[in-house]
Amino acid sequence: MKSRQHVVDNLNSRQHIVDSKQVNTKRAVPASYIQSTVYCLLLMLFTVFSCASQKERIFKKDKILMDTLVTITVVLGSKDTAEKAIDAAFSEIEYLEKLSNHYSPDSEITLINRNAGISEVKVSHDILKLLEKALYVSENTEGAFDVTIGPVIALYDFHKKIRPDDGMIKKNLSLVNYRDIIINRDRSTVLLKRKGMLIDLGGIAKGYAADKAAETLKKQGVRSGLVAVAGDIKAFGLKPDGKPWKIGIRNPESRDKEDDIMATIELEDMAISTSGDYERFFLSGGKRYHHLLNPKTGLSAQECRSVSIITKEGAYTDAFATGVFILGPEQGLKVLEKLGFEGMIIDSHGKSHLTQGIRNKLEFKRTVS
Amino acid sequence: MSLRELFHNTTLADRILFSLMIVLSLSGIAFIKDIFPDNSTVHIYVDGHPAYILPLDKNRVVSVEGPQGKTVVEIKDHQVRVIESPCNNKLCIQTGWVRSGAVVCLPNRVVVTLGNPAKHKKTVDATTG
Repeated sequence: MKSRQHVVDNLNSRQHIVDSKQVNTKRAVPASYIQSTVYCLLLMLFTVFSCASQKERIFKKDKILMDTLVTITVVLGSKDTAEKAIDAAFSEIEYLEKLSNHYSPDSEITLINRNAGISEVKVSHDILKLLEKALYVSENTEGAFDVTIGPVIALYDFHKKIRPDDGMIKKNLSLVNYRDIIINRDRSTVLLKRKGMLIDLGGIAKGYAADKAAETLKKQGVRSGLVAVAGDIKAFGLKPDGKPWKIGIRNPESRDKEDDIMATIELEDMAISTSGDYERFFLSGGKRYHHLLNPKTGLSAQECRSVSIITKEGAYTDAFATGVFILGPEQGLKVLEKLGFEGMIIDSHGKSHLTQGIRNKLEFKRTVS
Repeated sequence: MSLRELFHNTTLADRILFSLMIVLSLSGIAFIKDIFPDNSTVHIYVDGHPAYILPLDKNRVVSVEGPQGKTVVEIKDHQVRVIESPCNNKLCIQTGWVRSGAVVCLPNRVVVTLGNPAKHKKTVDATTG
């Protein structure tokens, strides 16, 4: 009986198993299907998150260096790598500031100035390069850009609105002449011929620093970035969306609004600088005194309001922006066309003068005459 | 059909898919937050390091310690200005109220940036001049 019952139980249980199998065939999904769904979804998730972590993004950092606001932007996959690269570029600018700041008591430029008319001074590769580039700009602007303008600049105080008298300007102008900078490449030395001469690299050092900072970023593995040492900007590579960097050119007419842009231009592996009469100035007796001094007269150049230059090297955009501003629109354009540089000059009447190559690249935000 | 019945009628694959959809949606919020940063903030930096990130819509006065001393920044009616500075030229104070861009005190190494960074980013990446 027991065994019969056992058989019946077994049969029932077998029946139950069969029933449950029948039920499952109606509702359940095969295990292989579930497995493959899970794998697919996990793969999707992994793809989404791995892309998100490696996706290149824009990182930006500011620092006050060279007595101005320096902003470095890089395109990289991680914040840590970006910070490391940007900090290395800041260190490079800091190093250049120490070499070139003529207000600093122990910079190489101060040593050269202190030994003017006395002896030659051994300098670093960077100062030698900077001075050679400065002399190239001087020669191509017929001395409109001249780093030996120091003795004249020292007479002005744009914060205290001090304009020196003509006698003092005339006296100090005799100490201004870029031809009196003697560079010996073999010995890496620089000599200023006459006592009292002063080199002021204010018109070229920021652009050069932008170049060097961009080089440092590239060495750190950054393929795309933007170094802005105030208005001296060096752009390289493309943004994460594949587009070039878009640079705004400040409107010289709205003197107090730094973010009022008159035109934009897209740049890739190029530098741009702008010199304007709105940067450091004061008004006295209805006349505008600004920091862009003509090395021939010692007075503020009056033919232009702003000059923007575009070429490969920031050192040249920086220095030629000053040189062309002093030369004036007509002569300035000739120099730019001769050298193959691009530029936009806004003259004292607000009229724009453009080089051939820049005409289709500029996008104006307002009508210019 | 009640929720319980609905739940019972789902397969394991349905439940996994549903959970993953929730995870993806939540992660989407994080990405969107990253892409569209808060655009109504005031950032105060001292010597390149962030000292304050403050909302532009709350009036207040804050002071930061720079190498030369105390710089006092006022936020009022969606504008910012520097009201006290140890620097000699006081150019930062002379800048007055600003609604966008930055106020910079070079001698005391203080940078105050504000405005609408998302909007600014869409127009230009940097400005020369």
